[in-house]
Amino acid sequence: MIKVSTAPVLDDATRAALASGRAEPALGLFVDILMEMRGITEAEGQAFAGAVLESETPANMKPDALAMAFAAIERGGKAAPVRRALAYPELETLPAALRDAIAAAEARRGWSYSGPGIKRLDLGVPGGAKAEIIRLEAGRAVPWHTHKGQELTLCIHGEFSDGHAAYGPGDFSAFDGSVRHQPRAHDQGTAYALAVTDAGLRFEGFLGALQKLFGQ
Amino acid sequence: MASGNTSKPPGEMLGEAERRRFADLMAAVADRQDRTAYSELFAYYAPRVKSYLMRLGADAAQAEEIAQDVMVTVWRKAALFDRVQASVSTWIFRIARNRRIDVFRRAKRPDLDPEETMILPAGVEAPDARLEAMETETRVRAAMRDLPEEQVNLLKLAFYEGLSHSEIAGKLDLPLGTVKSRIRLAFGKMKAKLDDDG
Repeated sequence: MIKVSTAPVLDDATRAALASGRAEPALGLFVDILMEMRGITEAEGQAFAGAVLESETPANMKPDALAMAFAAIERGGKAAPVRRALAYPELETLPAALRDAIAAAEARRGWSYSGPGIKRLDLGVPGGAKAEIIRLEAGRAVPWHTHKGQELTLCIHGEFSDGHAAYGPGDFSAFDGSVRHQPRAHDQGTAYALAVTDAGLRFEGFLGALQKLFGQ
Repeated sequence: MASGNTSKPPGEMLGEAERRRFADLMAAVADRQDRTAYSELFAYYAPRVKSYLMRLGADAAQAEEIAQDVMVTVWRKAALFDRVQASVSTWIFRIARNRRIDVFRRAKRPDLDPEETMILPAGVEAPDARLEAMETETRVRAAMRDLPEEQVNLLKLAFYEGLSHSEIAGKLDLPLGTVKSRIRLAFGKMKAKLDDDG
């Protein structure tokens, strides 16, 4: 029932582009989460970069740099923030990067109503693409829709179908603007998706790479 | 020389005990806003982050400002640091990288090049069990010491400086195919070392 893909392997160039975060931030987030949900981590690449940072030749900071940092910290008012609980506890076990992005978005503006049984949370990712979490209660569906640009939808919790295929955690779809689709949560429980829309920007090369890497 | 009491000479990576201690300092900042602990982290990391930023093309003033900003973020987000997931160096590198992207986003944003995509046999890089971060960090360092310098440099250009294969080819004046196969070889060796030692 659930569409399953073979474990994809990123080539080093794509990996490096992702590791350096130079892709569109929303896409970077999408692929990071996708890889983590598929059990592929950037652990080695990032640990490598951390180790290189240690071996970096230090550049002199201004003598008052530390004092200025403390001044900035005090201007900011609050000390280290306390880890906030998420509005929906089932999301606490998501990959840390996504969990923290959700916590930050909840602190900024929270979930918005988007129809009966449907809520959205804009992750407020910088850049030209938009990343949001869509929450569908059991049996609820997003209205049939098409897009101006392209849309990537990754199931992050629960299960849903979209008229083309069924999706469980780690499964995703990539549609261009011409395809109508309608994600509907299965009856067993609430489903959540990470959706990235490009608003007509330049996804094409990225989608081609994604298709090669993760497509069947 | 760096300001503050950095005991390590430049060019050396931290040992396991030091990495553990830095993680303890992060905990002190998160739990009780410990300024002494923070000052020590600042003395070690701020000059290195500044160097990293200058390596990527920022001028000294810009690098100083962003490094400041990164270190203030370290204070504010200290509670989010999780020593099971990453070393302090890896965590701060990530903050610096993201901050730099925020600042320079408009300057340059190459698309991913699908032509650079190559698919390796499925499963090769999907480990059966995840290594704990501390262990991964130790092994990555061991691999870095054992790999030929030329290969470490290629990995640096790819992972640390974030250059694409074609940018690396241009920089080293090598054919693209050569760069691809060498990076693949170097990354493969690093991963093989991780697997061997496991």
